[in-house]
Amino acid sequence: MSDKQDNVTSSSEASEPQIIHMDYGTATEFGAIVERTIDERGGNAAVQMPQWLEDKQPDRALSTRRSGRNRLKTFPGVAFISVLVILFLYLPMLMVVGFSFNGGRQALLWKGFSFSWYGKVFHDPAIISATLTSLEIAVIAMVLSTVIGVMFVLAADQMSHAGSAVASWLINASLIIPEVVLGVATMGFIRMIGLKPGMLPLILAHTTFCVPFVVMPLRARLQTIDTSCFEAAVDLGASPLVTVRRVTLPLLTPAIVSGALMAFVISMDDFMISNFLTSAGTTTLPIYIFSLIRKGVNPSINVVATLLLLLAVIVTVVSSVLTNRKDD
Amino acid sequence: MSEHTATLDGEKPPITDTSHHTTPTNRRRHTLFAAANRIKPGMLSHWYAIPAIIVGLLFTLGPICVIVAFSFMSQPEVGGGVVYKFSTNAYKKLLFTTDFLGRTSFDPRYLKVFGTSLWQALITTFVCIVLSFFIALWMSLRKPSTQRLLVLLINIPFWTNLIVRTYAWMLILNENGPINGFLKFIGVGSKQLLYTSGASLIGLIFTFLPFAIMPMYSALSGFDFRLVEAAYDLGARKLTVMRRIILRAAKPGVTSAIALCFIPAFGSYVQPVLLGGGRVLMVGNLIASQFSDARNWPFGAALSTVILLVTLLCGVAASIGGGKAARDAGMAV
Repeated sequence: MSDKQDNVTSSSEASEPQIIHMDYGTATEFGAIVERTIDERGGNAAVQMPQWLEDKQPDRALSTRRSGRNRLKTFPGVAFISVLVILFLYLPMLMVVGFSFNGGRQALLWKGFSFSWYGKVFHDPAIISATLTSLEIAVIAMVLSTVIGVMFVLAADQMSHAGSAVASWLINASLIIPEVVLGVATMGFIRMIGLKPGMLPLILAHTTFCVPFVVMPLRARLQTIDTSCFEAAVDLGASPLVTVRRVTLPLLTPAIVSGALMAFVISMDDFMISNFLTSAGTTTLPIYIFSLIRKGVNPSINVVATLLLLLAVIVTVVSSVLTNRKDD
Repeated sequence: MSEHTATLDGEKPPITDTSHHTTPTNRRRHTLFAAANRIKPGMLSHWYAIPAIIVGLLFTLGPICVIVAFSFMSQPEVGGGVVYKFSTNAYKKLLFTTDFLGRTSFDPRYLKVFGTSLWQALITTFVCIVLSFFIALWMSLRKPSTQRLLVLLINIPFWTNLIVRTYAWMLILNENGPINGFLKFIGVGSKQLLYTSGASLIGLIFTFLPFAIMPMYSALSGFDFRLVEAAYDLGARKLTVMRRIILRAAKPGVTSAIALCFIPAFGSYVQPVLLGGGRVLMVGNLIASQFSDARNWPFGAALSTVILLVTLLCGVAASIGGGKAARDAGMAV
């Protein structure tokens, strides 16, 4: 029994070099121990630093005045450029938000604060129908890609090394290939297999390029989970599927939610690939906005853009909160 | 690859089941005994990866194969699509033109398009990397809580709709926009800012900056800044510290940033159309137009194949360079 207990606790670090705990006196003694251990174990040993040495802060006397003056944080221009970069990223979008409250008929001539364009957008049948199409595709693609992604991440561990690498490459390829190429290629492909442009190809293509966004946070989360939880569940008699359902999935929930949200946004935002797969009845919101913009600047674009920006803010904040949670 | 297909075909049966059946009475001890061979607790059998692989095969690999095949086919007499007849005309069209009399001569028109794309993508990548290095360095020197907030701030543009972000610059560069307003106010007079190659470039930089900041930040945030203090203590000057310590640590970030900015910028479509107007023709626009207006599918497919090759080369270069850079950084640390 004790042997088994031992197995459980040490199985996760079995491959790591053995750690020797000792108290060391002087630095010379410590060095001697290191040398002897390396001699004895053929260089495959690790010596743990004593706690006092780990915790030790540099003595004030050791740091020279020169290094004090040369603080890294005073690199000239770094802070200035950084603030400019953040302004560069945000000012254009703040401007869109500001102009969405413009009361005038022209997009750029300020005629006072008003919600009137929001009212117009919420009653514009073309925008509503494009939004509904986008939402429908995004929700279905989100669900499908989340299910597929979770299954893949949990199964990838069991595949051979090469198999898992090839499968990951296959899944991530859609991230790297330029969207234009993927769009026209998918259009050629669906034509080849006899599908008509429309809802089904849109959903399938969206699912495909959403999967990598689901897989990324899941993989990161899985690395931080203590596998002894799973071993404990199995030891207590849970079947493999019950372990997955009752232990793995709850532990992965923040990553699953964050991945699903990312998939939702990526699907909502896609213009390039959808543009080649859409048919007359399935205009998505980005395609509709694009056509509006090409017709000329229009105040209702500001409103839709602000709402899409709001979606990005909500999703980013929620998924950041989920992935930064420290409680488990 | 062979092992992967073996998994798919089922030639390699899951060891789990056999081990499970040999000692059904004493499963718990067996779990530990066969821990290396059976399904790890809490995980699923490799069969569950199949939907993801099918989706990848069907909608990533399948389209790529189709587009490469299309590029070697002939154009039908009228309309779009392809005729299943082998031809390399599409590739010839990239470099040569044939006039009505059948004489073939060199045609640099499409090479110029590739040149524009390359130029715009290179400048975008360079500017993004320089800016992202500074902001990533600045971010990684903040308090952990500030760092989290800054990462959030960088993430929001990343998740914002591409068209919305491009549209924002249309508002700014418009002839009635704030920049022109300012120019008029100081007496310079309004300038054509929108629908220029510069506008397209700004749009590309704006779009891909977060793509560069994130890998750069993840390279620098793990960096132990005590090494910088050590370098100062050993007598290094600021520039030396920057060049020999910090830039080395940033190298893996630089390689990922190149891959993440250059490839999508090279194939970009939205920014050249909306901000560049008719003045900027990039490969992405050329491809899109071949599949809609001009309707020469094999030619569009040949252009796509060239882009795919460039992507593949960049990917290989980035993975080799990335590995080397990571090793260099490891040595520096």
